[in-house]
Amino acid sequence: MAKTATEYFDNLRESRIWRSIFRSGSGSSTLHRSLAIQQNIFLHLFSTKVRRRMLNLSATWYLGTLTFGTFLILVVTGILLMLYYHPSVPQAYADTKDLQFVVSSGLFLRNLHRWSAHAMVFLVFAHMFKVFYRGAYRPPREFNWVIGVILLLVTLLLSYTGYLLPWDQLAFWAITVGSNIASAVPLLGNKIHFMLLGGNLVNANALLRFYVLHCMILPLAAMFLIGIHFWRIRKDGGLYAHQSEPATVRAKAMAKQAQ
Amino acid sequence: MTDPNNPKDFVTGVDSNAKREPRRVVFVTRRTSPQVKVADEPVVQTFPEVLFRALVAIEVLAIALVWMALLFNAPLEGIADPSHTPNPAKAPWYFLGLQEMLHYFPPVVAGVLVPGLVVMALIVIPYFNINIEAEGLFLKGRARRLRIFYVVIVALSVFLFVFHVIVALVPTLIVAAFMVVAAQSSPQSPSAFRRYLASKPLSYWIMTWFLIELAVLTGVGTFFRGPGWAWVWPWKS
Amino acid sequence: MQSSGNKFVGLWQKLFGDPIRAFGVVSVLFLISLAIAPAKNRFSEWGHYQKGYVRLIRGRGEAVTLQRHFQSGIQQIWLPDLGVVDRCTTCHVGQKEASLIDVSTQPFRRHPVIPHTSEQMGCVICHRGQGPATTVEEAHRSTLAWEQPILPARYIESSCGQCHRAPLTGTPQLNEGHRLLTRYGCVHCHTVKQPDGNSLKATDDPPSLSHIADKTTRQWVFAWLKDPQAYAASATMPNFKLSDNDARDISAFLIANSTPIPDDTASNSSPAQKAAPDPTAGASLYGESFCASCHAVQNAAGNVVGGDVGPELTRIGTKAKPEWLQAWIRNPRIYDPGTEMPHYRFTDQQAAVLTGFLQAKADPDLLANVHLDAATPEQIAHGKTLVTEFGCASCHEISGIKKPENFAPELTRIGSKPSKQPRAFGAGLKMPQYSFNPAQIDALTTQLLSFTDRAQSVPNSLAVAATPASNYQPAGKAGQLMNDLACFSCHAINGRGGNMAPDLTWEGSSVQRKWLEDFLRNPNTLRPALIRRMPKFNLTNEEISTLSDYIMTVYQTPAFERDSMPESGYSSAQVEQGRQLFYSKYACQSCHIVDPKADKGYIGPTLTQVGARLNAAWIYHWMKNPQALRPGTGEPNRNMSDDDARGLTAFMMSQKGSGKQEAKK
Repeated sequence: MAKTATEYFDNLRESRIWRSIFRSGSGSSTLHRSLAIQQNIFLHLFSTKVRRRMLNLSATWYLGTLTFGTFLILVVTGILLMLYYHPSVPQAYADTKDLQFVVSSGLFLRNLHRWSAHAMVFLVFAHMFKVFYRGAYRPPREFNWVIGVILLLVTLLLSYTGYLLPWDQLAFWAITVGSNIASAVPLLGNKIHFMLLGGNLVNANALLRFYVLHCMILPLAAMFLIGIHFWRIRKDGGLYAHQSEPATVRAKAMAKQAQ
Repeated sequence: MTDPNNPKDFVTGVDSNAKREPRRVVFVTRRTSPQVKVADEPVVQTFPEVLFRALVAIEVLAIALVWMALLFNAPLEGIADPSHTPNPAKAPWYFLGLQEMLHYFPPVVAGVLVPGLVVMALIVIPYFNINIEAEGLFLKGRARRLRIFYVVIVALSVFLFVFHVIVALVPTLIVAAFMVVAAQSSPQSPSAFRRYLASKPLSYWIMTWFLIELAVLTGVGTFFRGPGWAWVWPWKS
Repeated sequence: MQSSGNKFVGLWQKLFGDPIRAFGVVSVLFLISLAIAPAKNRFSEWGHYQKGYVRLIRGRGEAVTLQRHFQSGIQQIWLPDLGVVDRCTTCHVGQKEASLIDVSTQPFRRHPVIPHTSEQMGCVICHRGQGPATTVEEAHRSTLAWEQPILPARYIESSCGQCHRAPLTGTPQLNEGHRLLTRYGCVHCHTVKQPDGNSLKATDDPPSLSHIADKTTRQWVFAWLKDPQAYAASATMPNFKLSDNDARDISAFLIANSTPIPDDTASNSSPAQKAAPDPTAGASLYGESFCASCHAVQNAAGNVVGGDVGPELTRIGTKAKPEWLQAWIRNPRIYDPGTEMPHYRFTDQQAAVLTGFLQAKADPDLLANVHLDAATPEQIAHGKTLVTEFGCASCHEISGIKKPENFAPELTRIGSKPSKQPRAFGAGLKMPQYSFNPAQIDALTTQLLSFTDRAQSVPNSLAVAATPASNYQPAGKAGQLMNDLACFSCHAINGRGGNMAPDLTWEGSSVQRKWLEDFLRNPNTLRPALIRRMPKFNLTNEEISTLSDYIMTVYQTPAFERDSMPESGYSSAQVEQGRQLFYSKYACQSCHIVDPKADKGYIGPTLTQVGARLNAAWIYHWMKNPQALRPGTGEPNRNMSDDDARGLTAFMMSQKGSGKQEAKK
């Protein structure tokens, strides 16, 4: 049964239509498998081979992968939520209510988006600390680390801008408290605060601004940076293999030199 | 490191010998096309081994999130009302560490200086050789470094104490205690834990301190702060 | 054991050994999880209720009609102007079906008939709760996202008060609440802003305390402060639950702070005062002067009988100093220029008799246990602090203490206050104890619950404003006289005044001058069913003529010319035609009396002397449309032809008193 299914799938992969889309074709040779990565616009960012020990859960805890997973969930649920949402006052709140009460699975969509957003922030932090403790920021990966730090900030901004959109008390005051911190910047504080909110107060202008940031500017920035982030993994020599133990490595090297 | 007996073979890879300017070196001879041989380590094909493992990981996470979304509703309160301030007005949880600091320090310090410095520090980590060498902090110039360490830790503790930041002072002292233990250890220590501590570089200690402070401040801001940002016990009331 | 373990490992290998296969297995699990949320939609709460409704109507006789009215799916009433999105009718399916009168199970109960339709107003404007919600819990109960739960049915009248500021006939509880709120002076301390920007005004008149030492003793002040209701069961002053020391200090301060009014007590002529009080003369003067119209007295059975315009007099002798009381009776305006008490023109002798009568209404027990030493300066100073602290000056004028602003929390939006309990106010530290009964508490709660956010933002098209308080003041000498006699305590003119006696706005068009003068000189009642209320003021002829001149010239309706109909000279045929109309066509005798022997109508005024009392043109136009002349009158509008009205006018004008009428006959 399983065999026949595999055969059918192989036949499908050899069909003309499939071949017109995926050039690599069937076959389990190293070449085929390398081509499957290289000839795909999305997958060609990745290297064709990975050190076997990097597949161990303990090596990376798959934190980068999982962060990207939450991002995918957020994009899909976010687009669906956009279909029901007007960034205006007080319609935004009414729309959030409607999601809960009349939209099919609307509450589920909002829940999933919300929890995934929290999960993403948490995973981004976890990913950063894991990378640090593994020492994976070392040259030639320094720039990818910098991109990672920027992605951390973008993630925080994404979550923060999304926090306002339901236009409830929680949102309003969280954003009020958060944006007031920006006012503390010396000299430019009030200008930054004004620019962030599109006014001096959290109001309809701020909602619209946060909506545009949350649904257009920041996701595009995140996608762009994620693309570079992935591509640089390959360019910088694949997943960093030495687990935060450069001292051991150096000790080995010194031992070799001594020989 | 090339083997003179076999000119066709190259050994290359990431090596930590490069102290000042670490870089990757590739040797190419005239007779061969460019080819890289990585240190002989078993590898797997990304497709399908890695790709599908990643997909499975993502799906497992997605299932967990879907069940969470089914079981727990996202919070929603009354419509935004600028005239009615909830007490306490809390920022999203990942900013509660910041908000907790705002409770102790003036906004310029807690809201601008500290986060700015943290981001800067994070960015420059890979650009400092001391981080790349990653030697145990007290392995070299131990007496001098210990002196500096004591001065810094006392200054930091006094600073935190003066501002009554007890929640930040406690983790600081705990990390400092481990650092003192590390200073008394060496790679030859009989205990594996002490050898481990001795091998930890400065960046490790700072990052660990930062991680614990982040977790403690965020946790305190989330669970232990009530009306007027006064201390409350979450299990009471 | 071993084999089962192996089996498990084998199964695990089969499912997850290969990443592709694991992906397949996990994908199936993922898709199943993803399908749960859409599947849950099929088991929604409202779907359950709609199925229940369909089952309910299936067996009924009018099933076809009901089935046709029924629409499945989420229903909503959307009124953008009001900000209403109400989905209540999704579950309350049968609320408009009159035939479901026997169904008592919610949510299928029929809505009682009310003046508004749900299409016009939605549901939550009256019932509160969360309109857009489609689950029972979210719609009815208070949650984080919705602070207003469903309003308990017993307070439902409060919702009427959100738009209707004026009293409505159908909302006795709300009207009573409004009366209590203003009558008991709640709004002295608590501000209640109306949407038109004005604050609610109190209708009580707390006395000034600046000259209290003229009026009463420190002992009485102490006893009163301790428990106002012990002195007078109907006292509106709340009990502040003061300690003995606090009451001692406040009384010390009030007495020490008091300044005497010249001409108040001092000028009392001693001879009259010495005259022996004659209980029967006092009682009859008390009755003749209609003191009971405004003042109540507790009778032996414990019931408080009398009006509530002035204070209760059950124990007045314990309170008032005799010399003050006598001066007050002679002319209350010297002590309190703004009082609602009329200035009776009593002679010194009469004033003394009445004072003696009232002084006898004493209760020595009240002050039996009150022993106060002379006040020390510390006590007076402490008393002043307490007076400021308790906000006494919010209600009472006290010289040297300013009326505090915003002394107590504003109640303008109390009805929208986030609270899971309908009783939003708890006893604060300074809030005194009122002696309200449960019905009054419900009434007040109803009134307070009408002060909602929505009440502040009702569109103008829906708001029914209260008639604005008028500060009409008649001019000249007659105006001064009317103030002196406190006409407005009972009569309303141009929107100002009480409702105890008839509205006098068009009195000049209505009555004949001679009758008016006679009435002012010696009033008697017009209606047999009512007790006579108009007191005899002992006016001089000059005063009567001033008043009559003013009333006859100023209080004229623009609706008709006063002299457009002759006062006399109607032919007997016309009179006879009127009589026929009166007794046969319109059957006026069911409410009015023309022939005291035969007629039994006690609802309307007696008409035996109407020809001497009323103006002919007034009668004619009254017949045509009584409501145009006096809105709200009980007289029905019979749509009379001009001829009929003229005939009846002729008949009415012939009724100049029983003697004349007999003679004519």
